[in-house]
Amino acid sequence: MACLSINSVSKFFGGHKALDDVTFSVNEGELVGLIGPNGSGKTTLLNILSGYLAADSGDVVLDGRPITGLRPEALARLGVLRMFQLTRVFPRMSVLDNLLVTGSALGLPEAEADGRARELIEDLTLTRMMHLDAGQLSGGQRKLLEFGSCFMVPPRIALLDEPFAAVHPTMKEIMAGVIRHRHAAGQTFLLVSHDMPVIVELCPRAICMNAGAVIADEKTRAVLTDPVVIEAYLGEAAA
Amino acid sequence: MAVTFNDTRMRDRIQLVFSLGIFALVALLPAIVRNEYWQGVLIVSMYFAMLAAAWNLLAGYTGQFSLAPAAFGMIGAYVTGLLSYHFNAPPLVGIPAAVVVAAAIGFGLGRIVLRLRGPYLALTTLSFAEICRLVISNSIEITRGDLGLNVPGLFDHRLTWYYVMLGVLVVIQLGLYFLLRAPAGLYLRAIRDDEIAAASRGVKIVLWKTNAFTLSAAISGLAGALYGHFAQFVSPELGLLSQTGIIVSMVVIGGLATLPGPIGGAFLVYVASEFLRDFGGYQLIVFALLVIIFARFFREGLWGFFRRAIERTGRRPAPVPSAAE
Amino acid sequence: MLLIDLTINGLIIGLFYALMAIGLSLIFGILRIVNFAHGEFYMIGAYAYTLIALFFGISPWLTLPCAFIAGMALGWATERLLMRPLYSGYASWGVMKDEYAVIITFALSLLLINLVDKVIGPNGYRGPSLVATTRVEIGPFMASGHRLMAAGIALLVLIAVGLFVRYSYWGRQIQAVAQNRLGASLAGIDTAKASAIVFALSGGLAALAGALLSPIINATPDVGAFPAVKSYVIVVLGGMGSIPGAAVASLILGVLESFGAVYISYGYRDTFGLVILIMVLLFRPHGLFGERSREV
Repeated sequence: MACLSINSVSKFFGGHKALDDVTFSVNEGELVGLIGPNGSGKTTLLNILSGYLAADSGDVVLDGRPITGLRPEALARLGVLRMFQLTRVFPRMSVLDNLLVTGSALGLPEAEADGRARELIEDLTLTRMMHLDAGQLSGGQRKLLEFGSCFMVPPRIALLDEPFAAVHPTMKEIMAGVIRHRHAAGQTFLLVSHDMPVIVELCPRAICMNAGAVIADEKTRAVLTDPVVIEAYLGEAAA
Repeated sequence: MAVTFNDTRMRDRIQLVFSLGIFALVALLPAIVRNEYWQGVLIVSMYFAMLAAAWNLLAGYTGQFSLAPAAFGMIGAYVTGLLSYHFNAPPLVGIPAAVVVAAAIGFGLGRIVLRLRGPYLALTTLSFAEICRLVISNSIEITRGDLGLNVPGLFDHRLTWYYVMLGVLVVIQLGLYFLLRAPAGLYLRAIRDDEIAAASRGVKIVLWKTNAFTLSAAISGLAGALYGHFAQFVSPELGLLSQTGIIVSMVVIGGLATLPGPIGGAFLVYVASEFLRDFGGYQLIVFALLVIIFARFFREGLWGFFRRAIERTGRRPAPVPSAAE
Repeated sequence: MLLIDLTINGLIIGLFYALMAIGLSLIFGILRIVNFAHGEFYMIGAYAYTLIALFFGISPWLTLPCAFIAGMALGWATERLLMRPLYSGYASWGVMKDEYAVIITFALSLLLINLVDKVIGPNGYRGPSLVATTRVEIGPFMASGHRLMAAGIALLVLIAVGLFVRYSYWGRQIQAVAQNRLGASLAGIDTAKASAIVFALSGGLAALAGALLSPIINATPDVGAFPAVKSYVIVVLGGMGSIPGAAVASLILGVLESFGAVYISYGYRDTFGLVILIMVLLFRPHGLFGERSREV
């Protein structure tokens, strides 16, 4: 059952084709890895999926309902939650409040939001910083916080944009643990990452993009040994 | 229990208590301040406190640094002034009308500047404010232009005005406190801190930005209308950019994005300016200088000093994340 | 013939506006802020030119560069003392750097206006003309000798600035910083110095405009307010950070105002610019020549 369907999405920035007829689906409960060299269009695709950019052609369908053109906040309320490549938290709000914002915005009653936020903070080992302003956190802790924001209300699909980039192994493990745990409970993920070991470990299926187009979409092991993919990452000689 | 600011609920409560403390002090002042002139000075301070609180809501808590606060005060004053001048409307009609009209215009401005930030927002609101002032100034047949309008009074005794204005101020402050403690407060701050992230978390950006503009304008309009009936005179000078400068000074000096900051700042700055008036009108120089110094070195304003003093008296210091993480 | 007269007058005014606007545009290009005290640089220039000539009896040709230098000094000082928090890494104002700039330059403007008002006095001073000839006729067009001379000087200075930014060592550093601050500093460019130079240049140009126009618009403490607003309009219209854009927009505004004052309304002539500003900010916030940048 397709949760998210991307159909022939293209995007141009001036003369540059950032996305070229991208088509794939993420089924309910799947944990799909999205890999590809820098500049391949992964973040552009995520920006379109989460409402920050408009596709020039093609459409995106969530649970059978077209979502192209909806604003980010509307998409969030439909269950499309994301992380940003450059971590975004609310620096002058406490860690707790950071989570409460999203809880309330997505419809949780205050008491329930408070309870869930504290649980999440516990899971993310951020309890000691609960009342500190997010701006006082280290980079890795902010990433954890942003990561946690995606799960205040279980999303239909979580779009994670390089959550493991430049992060301490302990934190990486915490996030991976949460992903594993929630995936087992049926959470759908689209995980963008360069961290191959994690992709291999977590994602049964991987999609590889290069120069705006999807060049591979199969079981992860197969993708990683696909000569087209290797060429994209390492150049012709290595293929 | 140690008094620390770790818990934001605690922090907001302490700020509210502080504000109420200031109000209590001001309420008791007429016992010592018998002079009607100085009571008047305090009343005008309350007018500024309302404008400052309104601007703080918009700029300090929602991050929209509009340069139009004085314009909305002027609009409120003129709505009630014009209604009484042309239609003999009583203040009890004029004042609510001022609030509604100011709110409507604030709503409109908010919609217009939705996509603008930082300098673009400042420029647009500045232009809007100047256009408002110029229109009022030039529409001589309707507004008598720079000559201003005479406005009927409301209360016979100055002390009545004193406590009515104070009462309105207290209500406004309490309202703001509850607003900021509610989910709405989280949304506004999120918009201030990172609008893009806020959208991705489901916050309705358009709705809350517009609400902030509307509410801020409504409060300013109310302040202006009340002031109009107190001073019994309104003129386009109410909307001068230098008036906005004074309002901004009050908030920055008192403490941007704090509850007591704009209130304390307003009283301090205005009363001090009256004292300095006797020394030859150096007030604006001093305040501008203070704003520069505070903005440059003490972003939290005077409130920041209080906060740090209070924290130092607490038994437990705020926990600091260890470097190893 | 009225048309030619209005057009040429408009263009001349446009040249002076350009002196104001180009500095502002440069500042925006480098620091991404609007300097709300820009009008006060104009004011300082007007006063320096007028008062030095008045009190020391020196020829205005000598006090003109004095005004330029005064503006440069003020600009430099402003950047060094107040603009540090805009550089990344300064914790206190963090994400609200733009707002910091708004507040601090706004306060600076208030400070300067009132300082001059108190120290020098609220009365206006009429600047000395550069040239004694009061009326010059070129075909159907008539203007005062000073106005023409001033326009000529403005044009020369504008060309000089253009050449400086385009071809000189520091000019190219400035262009680099404007395009990519981080990249420029990684390449070894002293971005702080570039910012200081730009602020100084901007102050100098505005002061020059104030000086050149002081025989026409007397030097008073708040004389800078009008030119400042015009320059904001121009900078937005031309696209913040685009020098050719600012130049073209200045000329357009000058001509528009010239015609508008005569054909539409004299009393509201200052609102044209404001309305244009709002329209542009709403519909084409990147101006006629500016560039969009990627946000997310």
